Amino acid sequence: MEASTALAFALPIGLAMAAFGSAIGLSKAISAAMEAMGRQPEVADKIQTAMIIGCAFIEALTIYAFVSVFLLSGKIH
Amino acid sequence: MAEARAHWIFVGIALLAWLICPTLAWASGGEGEEHPELPNLIHLLYKALGGAEGHAPGWINTLYHFQDVFFALLVTGVIILIVRLGTRNPTLIPGPAQNVVELFIERFHSFICGILGPKEGRRYVPFLGTLFLYIWWMNLFGLIPLMKSPTAVLSTTAALACCVFLFVQFTGMRRLGVLGYIHHLAGSPQDVVGWALVPLMLPLHIIGEIAKPVSLSLRLFGNILGEDVLLGVFAGLGVAILAFTKLPVGVPLHVPFILLALLMSTVQALVFTLLSTIYIMQMLPHEHEERAASR
Repeated sequence: MEASTALAFALPIGLAMAAFGSAIGLSKAISAAMEAMGRQPEVADKIQTAMIIGCAFIEALTIYAFVSVFLLSGKIH
Repeated sequence: MAEARAHWIFVGIALLAWLICPTLAWASGGEGEEHPELPNLIHLLYKALGGAEGHAPGWINTLYHFQDVFFALLVTGVIILIVRLGTRNPTLIPGPAQNVVELFIERFHSFICGILGPKEGRRYVPFLGTLFLYIWWMNLFGLIPLMKSPTAVLSTTAALACCVFLFVQFTGMRRLGVLGYIHHLAGSPQDVVGWALVPLMLPLHIIGEIAKPVSLSLRLFGNILGEDVLLGVFAGLGVAILAFTKLPVGVPLHVPFILLALLMSTVQALVFTLLSTIYIMQMLPHEHEERAASR
């Protein structure tokens, strides 16, 4: 198998795997935050801020995969 | 009544512009492009003057090369203009521009003070507010036809992240003192076990500090680039669907993603600012712990 063929297969699959993992992480984080907000609406603002920070950290992992996919996709001819 | 009509005219023009924009993308070709993106002003000018064939005048080559700097400066100019309009002659009953500026500042001030506390928050609102406003507008700028998001390029976001990095380190040294800063980097050792762990904690903390600007810049860059590429791909698809008619029109398939991009631009600007706030907060002296210890 040529390098560009391998890349053409690996890049979308790798990005999908990264997206899958961070989707699971995000769903857990957001569902927990929503539950907490429903239980204690008076601290919803604080929970939301913390949730956004956490989501940013989780989502950053997919973004790293996305950036590396973009950097490598130039090598496919 | 007349105002309502003016609003509808504005909406109509915006929709028309979004219909035409993909067509321009199609007309400008896209061969040899690194990413499928919507065309911007400088890109079209470069194509029109024959930049691809290599016989364009020198200034357009320079402008094409530094297009992100140009758009970043344009955003700066727009922000300065609006804020100047809002603060030029403040009145008790605010006009539209003053109203917008005051609303933003008040909301942002209370938001930052909710995280850092009222005393510390007030000190860092100018830097963080500038950061948020600048990034937010740069993100949104790519949604205006013939404009481009400067944040879709790594150099812009890396520059912003470097600013945050230097500001955070400077804050740490000023508020903790140089020795206190090194003590903080060593993991704030209190007892024998803490001091024994310093050789392990110091490199870890230094790597962590360096990783902060890297992750900040990569996150913003990746999100905004992804957003722009998504818009570009769907605009190109809309043009490709109607290509058989040989008419210079396209289906505006990318319109739903503009709404997504509006949301993502705001969230990413907020995340960048929020993380900067957290990094600053980590560098501040921990007053509540000292108070608890003295009690």
